[in-house]
This record gives sequence, structure tokens and C-alpha cells, in this order.
Amino acid sequence: MDFANLVAQLNAGTILPEGIIIATLLLVLVGDLIVGRTSSRWTPYVAIAGLLAAVVALYFQWNNPNSISFLGGFNSDSLSVIFRVIIALSAALTILMSVRYVEQSGTSLAEFLVILLTATLGGMFMAGADELVMTYVSFETLGISSYLLTGYMKRDPRSNEAALKYLLIGASSSAIFLYGISLLYGLSGGETRLTAITANILANNVDQSIGLLIALVFVIAGIAFKIAAVPFHQWTPDVYEGSPTPVVAFLSVGSKSAGFALAIRLLVSAFPAVSEQWHFVLAALAILSMLLGNVVALAQTSMKRLLAYSSIGQAGFVMIGLVLGTEAGYASMIFYLLIYLFMNLGGFACIILFTLRTGTDEISEYSGLYQKDPLLTLCLSVCLLSLGGIPPLAGFFGKLYLFWAGWQAGAYWLVLLGLITSVISIYYYIRVVKMMVVKEPEEMSEAVKNYPAVNWNLPGMRPLQVGVVFALVTTSLAGILSNPLFTLANNAVLLTPMLQPTITTIQPAPNPATPGYADLESETKEAIEG
Amino acid sequence: MNLADGVQIVSFGVLALMMLGAALGVVLLENIVYSAFLLGGVFISIAGLYILLNAGFVAAAQVLIYVGAVNVLILFGIMLVNKRQNFVPLRNAWVGKITTAAVCLGLFALLGTMVLATPWAISTAPVAGDTSTVVIGMHFFSDFLLPFELASVLLLMALIGAIVLARREFLPDALEREETQQPVLTLPERPRELASAAPGSPDRTLGTSPTQRNV
Amino acid sequence: MNSGIDLQGSFIQLLVDLGLPVEVARVAWLPLPMLLVLVGATLGVLVTTWLERKISAAAQQRIGPEFAGPLGMLIPIADGLKLLVKEDIIPAKADSLLFTLGPAIVVIPVFLSFLIVPFGQNLLITDLGIGVFLWISLSSIAPIGLLMAGYASNNKYSLLGGLRAAAQSISYEIPLALSVVAIVMMSNSLSTIDIVQQQSGYGILGWNVWRQPIGFLIFWIAALAECERLPFDLPEAEEELVAGYQTEYAGIKFGLFYLGSYVNLVLSSLFVSVLYLGGWNFIIPIESLASWLSISESTPWLQVLTGSLGIIMTLLKAYLLVFLAILLRWTLPRVRIDQLLDLGWKFLLPVSLVNLLLTAALKLTFPFAFGG
Repeated sequence: MDFANLVAQLNAGTILPEGIIIATLLLVLVGDLIVGRTSSRWTPYVAIAGLLAAVVALYFQWNNPNSISFLGGFNSDSLSVIFRVIIALSAALTILMSVRYVEQSGTSLAEFLVILLTATLGGMFMAGADELVMTYVSFETLGISSYLLTGYMKRDPRSNEAALKYLLIGASSSAIFLYGISLLYGLSGGETRLTAITANILANNVDQSIGLLIALVFVIAGIAFKIAAVPFHQWTPDVYEGSPTPVVAFLSVGSKSAGFALAIRLLVSAFPAVSEQWHFVLAALAILSMLLGNVVALAQTSMKRLLAYSSIGQAGFVMIGLVLGTEAGYASMIFYLLIYLFMNLGGFACIILFTLRTGTDEISEYSGLYQKDPLLTLCLSVCLLSLGGIPPLAGFFGKLYLFWAGWQAGAYWLVLLGLITSVISIYYYIRVVKMMVVKEPEEMSEAVKNYPAVNWNLPGMRPLQVGVVFALVTTSLAGILSNPLFTLANNAVLLTPMLQPTITTIQPAPNPATPGYADLESETKEAIEG
Repeated sequence: MNLADGVQIVSFGVLALMMLGAALGVVLLENIVYSAFLLGGVFISIAGLYILLNAGFVAAAQVLIYVGAVNVLILFGIMLVNKRQNFVPLRNAWVGKITTAAVCLGLFALLGTMVLATPWAISTAPVAGDTSTVVIGMHFFSDFLLPFELASVLLLMALIGAIVLARREFLPDALEREETQQPVLTLPERPRELASAAPGSPDRTLGTSPTQRNV
Repeated sequence: MNSGIDLQGSFIQLLVDLGLPVEVARVAWLPLPMLLVLVGATLGVLVTTWLERKISAAAQQRIGPEFAGPLGMLIPIADGLKLLVKEDIIPAKADSLLFTLGPAIVVIPVFLSFLIVPFGQNLLITDLGIGVFLWISLSSIAPIGLLMAGYASNNKYSLLGGLRAAAQSISYEIPLALSVVAIVMMSNSLSTIDIVQQQSGYGILGWNVWRQPIGFLIFWIAALAECERLPFDLPEAEEELVAGYQTEYAGIKFGLFYLGSYVNLVLSSLFVSVLYLGGWNFIIPIESLASWLSISESTPWLQVLTGSLGIIMTLLKAYLLVFLAILLRWTLPRVRIDQLLDLGWKFLLPVSLVNLLLTAALKLTFPFAFGG
């Protein structure tokens, strides 16, 4: 059997984007190994080019009729495509803002990029994983690379502390998740493919058993850790405060999106039998996240902690879409994540810029920034206001769509609570904006008084400038010109067979020995015996 | 009951008792070194249970990976750390202990009930036994191909990450001078002093030697 | 392929013929292999220590032990008796439980590994499907015992020795395992019997050492390091560490360490002969010799001859390697700890990976010669 034949049989074309990322990763790694330290001049651009090439490759995967690949291990339907685009884009933006930061902290850039690309890879595979083993391996790939990234500034004790906390909580949550999926494996009589699990659980008459419920709870606990939903959020503030800011940016967008993708796929396709229960649990998590995230954010004095709690709150909003279970719900969730990608990363880019120039991230130090750096002030204000949901900006439309979908589906209390907490969130976002814009020159903080002259020509500053301006433009325009994004999100849901109600209920049990599998098995057997 | 069954039951009982005893010891003993050694005992007992289940390959892999690698690393970690101070005994520590015990017992009761109440679908496929390596290999190269390959990327990254965390940094002078304006990123450690450890000098140890490059 | 001699079958048959029930006969068989392993391995060690004394003496132009028995052959027994009856001291501040357990944990896995060493077609304790993998996994337990002994002695030299031993052992396990994997790839099996059989048929020309020269060297170096033989005896380097993890040990516990390290040497040599030197095969294939002399393969005396020749060949090859190891010990200087780790991680590991890839490529290109 030749290689092309094998590729065709496995339908391996579906992981072309991931293949591109692996190639980029190796290129960066080996290039840095050969060239040495000077390679940091070109490695970030290679990495970004690879990520963008992956996005282009993903464009061609859109609405692929033959989406199942690797004998059921990976599903490249439109839902996974859109999530993979979000993750790849968030990694690309993160690299833009990390070049200067990593250089300035005196650590090596190439390894940072390699680990970040691996995390992206894990996230992208997680978005499409259609089988339990695949799910877990990609979950761990994302997790372990995140721990490493968190502790990357190893001479900074805060970074060490963050990494240790993240590692310990992450390891236990992934163990719980593993317990949950192993229960699924047992209940389904030894199946690992998600679609087959549902069918087998029904066939084995265990669809109402306590085992399935325990599996559900454990799986949700694992996922809720990734998306930092409230009872599982304790790691978030400390980790966000201690780890390098670009990493926080990636964790808050890329890692979270991967978690949501996993949540949709796993819950919808493996737990239809306990659908009511998981909707209830997620609704509770959403309510808690919105309340706690937004209320505690009020009291924060550090910008990074503020954004940590705000990201918990934002996760709560996104979960509304997941809880609804309607097409509009899923679409609004994807739409919001797309917008959240730009506005949140824009916010983090601004914080990084401010930290690089002043060396602090206290909120009070931002006062009077408008006089010294208007561009930074403008971008940060736009991003924060958009996160809060102020009308002409992108975030407003995102929330509008979410709440509209919720109202349509009859989740009145959830929507009402979302509205109230949004108002709370606007308060603390505006507080920062006010601090920057309104203060008189004499009220300027020490950090701003000593603000260095704006110089974009320092090495690594250009990409940061590009990132800031890009985020500014998209955040301000994506709201008014949101139609393409809106259509994209809707199509992603419409084109995904898994999310169509007729299909989600029960899929006919697929033949365990599909022709592809049997073929390959016999070939392997021949190869081994021959 | 014939001989084979008797041997099986007795060995299961011995292994299970060994495992439970060792696991309880890991959790309850005050001395962390004992806990680490007992952890090795737990792993070995689990390997024994695998053998009873006719999964020899899994048992050997368990011994190789968990006892030979994981547990040795844990022991290394414990023995290389300087224990500077004793923990101050907490007041009312018993409250925490009792709560933990209650939670654990509750969880155990819940999971135990679940295991007993669920009608498990028991596989009727014949046990692979000695041919299990072939079966595992075939799965790796057919339906579990993708996770198998992804695991290689994961391991590569873990390798790089471990080296990054363990190696000493050698900063070029230029970058260091440039850093003056950033108080937040000022680093507590002085990399220049470390740079005097010339390659090949006898004080190089396991953690750092294979990793220096770009000097 | 004839089945050769089936000891277990004949023994049980004999007891059944004597009127015992089958079950009882099986139970009666059970302790015999264990006893055989213990006695055989201990005898092997006695011979090895005698060889060590004699060869070292020759290397230094001395005579060596002379008066105890002919050529001093009883000196190992005297050594063993001395260690047995010596006072067993446990240092006052040592952790007596771990102190006692340490040597046992080092020795037991080594003895267990003898289960899969074949001396003939049916002359091994068990033919496991996982074969050599069992040996690799069992040998990874030993570092735990070493760390335990080092820690429990409450002595800084012991602890350092234990840590060094464990570090060395896990570093060299990887190249060792990788070169075994290359062999396994050629034999399509992990079982030691299959590995030997795959080498038989062409006499000395069929042995793996010609097809795996790099693997053979890596395996031998790594095996010496695993046994903590000089030039790799860093854990007990007497100039630096007194005697490493053995510093505080005396009497029979010290004897166990001593026994363990020599058994390990014999075991490694046996594995080299099984994996690379054709195991029990004679220099020319015995089947073709028999057919050339037109003797039927099932002739009883031929079977007995084949069996004993197999045992002799395996032992001969193994002791040739033991001789080599002893010669190396008395001629080479000790390496430094950083050189040791550099050699393991920066040289042997990449080379063994390349060897593995090369084997895979050769297997695809020349399936006939490399076990297709």
C-alpha cells in the first residue's frame, strides 16, 4: 500500500491545517537550532505565516461533505473548522504581541513559539476530536503546553507560582475528566467513537443509569476547568496575574474556545440521553460565572486580574448560547467567540504595550494616559467598551445576538441575569476608560509621568503595533459590518450534521468494522506477519 | 475449584491487600519518602493485577513506566530538595482531616454504588493474551493512528519544555543593558555569575549539562 | 523445527506414571524451576568472582588465589561463607526497615529476569510473549532499591551513590531498550526463543551481530553501565564516595548487593549472547550437520547432544563476554560523572535512534536479510 492510497483511505486531507502547523513548528525548532539566537528575527513571522496558511487551508475544508477521517478519530465538519480558525487566529495574534515581550524578558523566543504552536495544535485537534482517546490526548497536549507557557518566565517567582498552581489544578481536573470518559467507555461496552457511544449506551439500557450521570458530571468538571466556569475557576486569577501576558491572552481566547468546542461536541453527541441534566448543570455554571466573574471584577486593582475575572464573566455569557441548545444559540455562541477573539486580544495587546513601557499593570497607574499615548488609550478604550457591550462596537452585537437567541428560546431568567451582569461589567470597564481619558495632567500617575517617548522602531515593536491596530479596526468595524461574521456563524451551525436536531437524537449504530477499518486491519496484519 | 483458580484467587487477594495497604500508606504516612516508596508498591500491585487479567504487556509497561520512570523521578525530586523547615502543626487540623475522610468515603460510596448498580456490557471477545502486543500495534496503526501520532508531538514538546525549564540562561550582554527601563521584568537571579561555569567543569550536573546551546 | 527436550512434560509424565494425580504432579514441578534459577545464578556468580580474581591477577602479573582448592577454586565459596556469618550491622541512625529492604529490591528483579533466558528450544522457564520487554521493565526496578539503600543509610556518600546509580541506570536504559527494539524489529517478536530461532539456520553467519554491529556495541556499553561495572562504576567510585550506596552495608546485606551486581553481569552477558550471538546455536547449524551425516533429528542421543551443546554454547558465549567485561575493568580508567551522562544522552541515545531507523529502512529494502 503506497502513501497516497493510505492518505486517501484515512481521509487524511482533513488534518492538512494541523499538518501545516506541525511543519511550521519543526521549521522554527530546527531553524533556531541551526541558526542560533539571531533566528529570533524571522521565527515569529514564520510561525504567523504557518498559522495563516493553516487558516487558508481551513477555508478549503469548509462544508466538506466527507468530514470524518482517521476511521472516526477526527471530524472536520464546519463546526470544528470555525473553532479551529478561532484558535489559529488567536495564536497568530498572540505571537504578534509576544515578540517584544519575550525578547525583553531575556528568554528565548523560538522555544516559546514551539510550545505555543503545540498548544494551538492541541486546541485544534480538540475542536475536531470525535473519539475519546483523541479527545484526551489533545486535551493533554493543550494542557501541558499551557502549563509550560505559564511557567515560561522561570526567573519570575510569580510565573513559577502560577505554573505550579495551574499544573496541580489542571492535572487533577484532567484526571477527573479521564475518569468520566473511562466511564463512558465502560458504559458503552468498549466504544471510543462518540457517535457509537450514544448508540451503544441506548442499546445497553444504561441511558438512565447513575453511571452515565456520574460520567456527565466528571466530564463537565474537566471541561469547566478549561473554560474557567465558576466553581472550577479558582486557578484563573492567580494564573492570569502570574503568567506572561501574551500567554494569558492565548489562554483566555484560544484555550477557552477549544474548551467550548469540546463541550459542544462531547455533550451533544455523547450525552443526548441525559440532555436535560447537562443543560441544567451548564445553566447553573453560566449563572454562577456571570455573577461571580462580573461582581468580583469590580474590586480588582490589577489590570490582569480584572481581565481574568472579566473573562470568567464572558465565559458565562458564552455558555448561555450553549445552554439554549437551539441553532440560534450555537450560532450566537460562535459569533460571540469570534468577536471576543478580537476584542479580548486587543485588550491584552494594549496591556502588554503599557507594561513594556512602564513596567506595571496596576489600574491606578493608567490615569492620564490619554495625554501621553492617544493610540494606546483609544485602542484599550474601544476594546474594553466592546467587552462591556457599548452599542456601536462589536461586543454589543455579540451580546445582542446571544440575548436575542436566549429570549427566543424562552430562557428569560438567564437573559435577564445576563443583562444585569452586563451592566455591572460596564461599570468596571468604564472605570478604566475614565481613568485614562478624563484625568487632568496634574492627576497623572507616576508611571505615566515617566512614560517613554513612543518609538515603534525598537525590535519587536512593529508586530505589536500591527496587532494593536488590527484589533482596534476589527473591534470597531466588526460591529457595524458584522453581517459576514454573522452568516459565517450561522452557516457553521447549519452545515454541521451533528447539531441538526433530527440527527442529534440517535444515530444508527455504525458498523464497528467499517470497510476502511477492516481493510487497514488486514493490511496491517499482513505487514506484521509478512 | 482447580489449582489455577485457587492460585488466581489467592494472588488477587494478596495483590489487592498489598495495593490498598500501600495506597493508604501513601496518603496517611507523615514521612514523604515512605509515601514515595509505597507509591512504587501500589504501581507494582497494579501491574500484578494486570498479569492476572492476562495483560502481560500492559503489566510490563506499567512497571517500566510507572515504577522505572515516574516513581524514580518522584524519588529524585524528593531527595534533591533541601527540606529547610518542618511544617508548623495547624490548629484544628483534625477538622480538615475528618472532612477529607468524609468526602472521600462519600465519593467511594457513590462510585461503589454506581459500579454495582450499572448493568455493564461485558465483552465476549477472546482475551488476546500473548498476542496482545500485535493487537495493540494494529490499533496504533489503524483506528488510533491520529492520537498515537499526536502523542509524539506532545512528547517532543514536553521534552523541549523540560529542557527550557531546567537549563541555565546565558544572556547576551546587549539585551541585558537594554532591559534597564523595565522594573517589572527585573530578574532576581544574576545570569552573568552563572555563566562562569565553563563547559566541562566538574560541577555540571544532570539537570543542565545536555541542554546548553546558543552560548 | 524439532521441539527438542521437554523437561516439564517428561517430569509431569513421569510422576503421573508413578501414580500421582496430574494436579499434584504440576504442583511438584512448580518449585523446581525456581530452585534451578537460584542455584544456577548463584553458581554462575561463584564462577564469575573466581574468574575476576584470576583474570585481574593475570592482568597485574600476579598469581591470584591459589591455596583454597585447585587453582583457588574454592575461594568464592569461602567468600560467600564469610559474608554469611559476618555480623550484620545496621547503623544507629539508619532507617532499619528501608535499609533491609533496599538490597532485596535490587536483587529480586535480577533473579526474576532469568525466567526468560533460553538455553535451548525448550530449555527455559517460560516462553513469554513479551520476552525481552520483561527484562527491560524488571531492570528498571533496581534504581528504586538503590535509592532506598542510599537514603536509608543516613550517610551523604550513600545518598550520592544511590542518586548517581539511579541516574546512570535510567540514562542507559534508553539506548539499551532502543537497541533491543531494533533486534525485535528484525525478529518480529519479543520472545527470546523467536529471537534466537530467527538467527539460526546459517550458523555463525546468521547471528545478529553481523546485522546489528552498532546495536551490539551500544547494547554492550549500556549493559556495562547498567551493571555499574568499571569504567562506569561511578556509584561506588571509592576515591570520591567511599563505596557509594554500599558504604554502610556489611555482612549478608552487602553480600546481596555483591551478588546482585555479579548476577546482573552474568545476565547481561547471557542476553548479549541470546540477542546478538545466536543463543544456543552452534557455529555451524546442527540440523544440517545431522542430515549431512544422515542421522534422524528425532534420535534420542542426538537430542540430548543438541540440548547439552545448546547449554554449553550459551554459557560459553556468555562467559566470553564476562571475560571481556573483567578485562575491561582491569584495563580502562573510570570516566567522570559528566562524561558518563554526556556519553549516554549525547552520543548513545542519538546513535541508537539512528540505528533503529537504519534497521527499519534496511528491513523495508532487504526484507529477506532483515527479517521482512
